[in-house]
Amino acid sequence: MKTTQTIFEDGGHKWTAIVRDPAKPEFLIDTNEYLVQHGGQGLLLDPGGSEIFPAVFSALSSEFDPSKIAGIFASHQDPDIVSSLALWLEFNPQMKCHVSWLWGSFIPHFGGKGDTFVPLPDEGAVIPLAGLQLQAIPAHYLHSSGNLHLYDRQARILFSGDVGAALLPAEKQGLFVEDFSSHIRFAEGFHRRWMGSNEAKRQWCERVSHLEIDMLCPQHGAIYQGADVQRFINWFDELHVGVLRS
Amino acid sequence: MTAEENTSEWQGGDEAFVPVATESSSGAALDLLRIVRINEEIKRVVSVAFKINIMALNAIFLAKRAGNAALGFGVLSNELRVFSKDLREGMMALTRQIHDLVAEVSVILQESRYDRVFAEAALAAPDHAQLHTVLERREARHGERADRIASLRRGLRLAIDDAARLVELGGVLAKSAKIEAAYGAGFASSLGQVSGEFDGIVEEIRSSLDSLRRSGFFGGSA
Repeated sequence: MKTTQTIFEDGGHKWTAIVRDPAKPEFLIDTNEYLVQHGGQGLLLDPGGSEIFPAVFSALSSEFDPSKIAGIFASHQDPDIVSSLALWLEFNPQMKCHVSWLWGSFIPHFGGKGDTFVPLPDEGAVIPLAGLQLQAIPAHYLHSSGNLHLYDRQARILFSGDVGAALLPAEKQGLFVEDFSSHIRFAEGFHRRWMGSNEAKRQWCERVSHLEIDMLCPQHGAIYQGADVQRFINWFDELHVGVLRS
Repeated sequence: MTAEENTSEWQGGDEAFVPVATESSSGAALDLLRIVRINEEIKRVVSVAFKINIMALNAIFLAKRAGNAALGFGVLSNELRVFSKDLREGMMALTRQIHDLVAEVSVILQESRYDRVFAEAALAAPDHAQLHTVLERREARHGERADRIASLRRGLRLAIDDAARLVELGGVLAKSAKIEAAYGAGFASSLGQVSGEFDGIVEEIRSSLDSLRRSGFFGGSA
């Protein structure tokens, strides 16, 4: 079973990371899910693949009523991101899935109906959650051609999908990056191969440099916090991506 | 390939398929395989029925050339053309039923995967009341789907029985054509050959339909 860890809390405004399942089969990539709570409602970020649904569900439901999940934010269309959609919809069929307009007719293959999906425009959009204004930030081609991240200005947290992801070895399973220079080695190959556009990467670095970010939360690996956030952005800005091998 | 060869491949195919399916989905997977086999047999019957149409057309021309001696043969050839058309239409209706069945069984296969995932979730969170509500709702939906499949299964079986009755008529027509061929004077030999082919083809269709009726999908042994 996965564990939950609160990474931000301010009254009824809370970010919970759902991470690290020791029972997960090795052939499945490890993923981080995040739950944003505000005003008694929840927004689940990249809820994960259907195979890990039991682990995510049991961890999440120990913290939060799944029927109160008002929506899902899918950074892009990959199966490890959102193939569990149909399972979550069983708990609240009115739940909305916020995703790039580009994938509006693709993701329904995982479940949902026409009115399940809220298409996000390329320039991003505000996603309201019980009065909280969350901002979908463009991250196209990083790695998906229709890709968005989610910024919470109040919590100063950026959910960055696959950007910042690291494929960590078994002995380095901490939730937060502790030593940037040793951690980033586990992120380098991933970013070189999976991120397809240097231009898109440049634009993203420029865009997020203007945001106040205390935590950068990727879908795989560990969370960057404090000075490591800017360190990561600088590192990524200089990395040559879109290559087969480093 | 003869119908008998098809039948033996059918049995072997089912047996070979079972181990690759998960335990919970193996029934639906087996049904899907049987439906696919039924569909292949239906396509085969449609193809043979079309052959009867062409043969009957040629037989009508032959009867015209034979003149008064083959008037009866000509009438029967025309009836065989009508039989061919009716049979193809019947088979197309079967194909539509097959399509509906494939859709339902495919959903069961997909749902059985989700059932497994929910079962694991129930083990991980055994006291979660809402999860049990979801499981009950899913169980009710499974029941409704099973009823729909049972109804489609009955409908398909009835349609195959209807087709089999139609083929009995085709058999009578082919046998009558054989008798009429004997009165074909100088054309008797040619007409006899054509009517013999009719008889053989109708027999082939009958054999196909018999194997369909024996399908494991309808509780049979094939």
